[in-house]
Amino acid sequence: MSHSSVLSSLSKINEKYRMFRTVTSETDAGDAKFLFSAKDNLTSKDMETCSGSRILEGYRPPFDATSIAKMREAGGLLVGKTNMDEFGFGTFSTNSAFGVPRNPYDLERSCGGSSGGAACAAAVMEGHVAIGVSTGGSICCPASFCGVYGVVPTYGRVSRYGLLDYGNSLDKIGIISSNASDLGKYVEIMAGADPRDPTSCVQPAIGARRKLKSVAVPGDATEGVSEDVKKAFKDGLEALKSMGVDVEKVEMPSLRYAIPAYYVIATSEASTNLARYCGMRYGHQDGDLSLKFDDYFTSFRSQYFGEETKRRILLGTFTRMVGFRDRYYSKARRVRQSIIEEYRSVLSGCDAVLTPTMPFVSPKFTDISKMTPVESYKADILTGPPNIAGMPHASMPCGYDRDGMPIGMQFVANHWDEGVLFSAAEEWEKNFDAVRPEVSI
Amino acid sequence: MDRETVEKVARSAHLKLTEEELEIFSRDLGDILGYFAMLDEAPDCEGFGIDPIGVADVLRDDEPYMELEPDALLQGMDTYDNYVRGPRLL
Repeated sequence: MSHSSVLSSLSKINEKYRMFRTVTSETDAGDAKFLFSAKDNLTSKDMETCSGSRILEGYRPPFDATSIAKMREAGGLLVGKTNMDEFGFGTFSTNSAFGVPRNPYDLERSCGGSSGGAACAAAVMEGHVAIGVSTGGSICCPASFCGVYGVVPTYGRVSRYGLLDYGNSLDKIGIISSNASDLGKYVEIMAGADPRDPTSCVQPAIGARRKLKSVAVPGDATEGVSEDVKKAFKDGLEALKSMGVDVEKVEMPSLRYAIPAYYVIATSEASTNLARYCGMRYGHQDGDLSLKFDDYFTSFRSQYFGEETKRRILLGTFTRMVGFRDRYYSKARRVRQSIIEEYRSVLSGCDAVLTPTMPFVSPKFTDISKMTPVESYKADILTGPPNIAGMPHASMPCGYDRDGMPIGMQFVANHWDEGVLFSAAEEWEKNFDAVRPEVSI
Repeated sequence: MDRETVEKVARSAHLKLTEEELEIFSRDLGDILGYFAMLDEAPDCEGFGIDPIGVADVLRDDEPYMELEPDALLQGMDTYDNYVRGPRLL
């Protein structure tokens, strides 16, 4: 399908799958070298940026995020902003104020989250490149649920300038695509030092592709994982062995603390980041100016923030309060360091740590609506550890359950060692029979 | 978490909760903090930082420059005579 044909069919595709919050009005792709989308929490000059939140409705940034600017400079045409959980707060993209993306393998199921729209676009549109953002699993989860490849580079590899922060010490910008070779190609375009984001200025160059020779599998990697996922993961391990990859078992006891530590750090940072959304600078500003400023801010935030956003603001505010900060926030940061050291120790003897990506296949929306917050947070049990540690990681499809729903496995490499992930994805793609979803519009 | 604590935290976060929200968040935050209690048994560690990687200061020459036009920044904001309109302070 030509670029221009894709552009003319975007609205129709979106009616069915709801992956986009906004689509371009362009109908002619001109001399664009490739088409790409960006998660709706990355600023773009030509489209609204709402981060899935009603409070930002109408916000039109005057500048492009560095990641989007670099993709444009490389010849990319931004075709739309993808749907997401409000500010990235979710695992199923059901917390979006602007429609919930539908899984292309089964419309009654979730695309995963929070970059659910991005993974959906990558799965539905062959050759499409989607920029996603991961804080605690928001690239690998939806990539796994939608049967595509997703990569999260090392924290700091891609500038966060123009990203609407969720958790500053956790947010990472990456790529989702149905083509494994796109992971390295487009991360290399977006990567590089940017003085506007000092955390991007310490990075070494991305190394040459390096063949994956060995992986370590944590002993409890499949604890609490569904039988279908266990089987697909086991098959994936056998396939890797047949490709000449050594597989060894390791113990990583600190990983069990990753999820509570992640949620403490993430919500603590989010609760301060979201203080700026108060009805004055961005989005809605139609409040009663006769109110005192505290009441004015409170009225906006109470009216426009969604339920999960309020829950996380409350949680993060509480865990930073005097009397509780040491128990929660300070402890969580120490736990993060333990996890980083454990990864480094294991990765000194192998190329990657391997687990399933998600403990189950994409659930139905009816089942998601019955989940408690804790059950929902625990769904990140396998994607949380590399995210809290800032380690580069990638999800690759490794099988399908009895209903044909995709299953992914997750490779975690050492800081700055993305080259081994890019190479592993390209090798894996040659050996894995992917089943594409049937797309009809 | 008791409702009084939830209300206190909400005030601090500039949120006004309905009765229904108070009930939901009181229950949910109690459950979530119960789950977080496992952090108490997690092993301690020294030498941690704010970011997961080492970072360094990035400094630039102190020379004024304009990257974005002020008009572009004011776009979409409620303004008059080069002022931004806001709620009353007193």
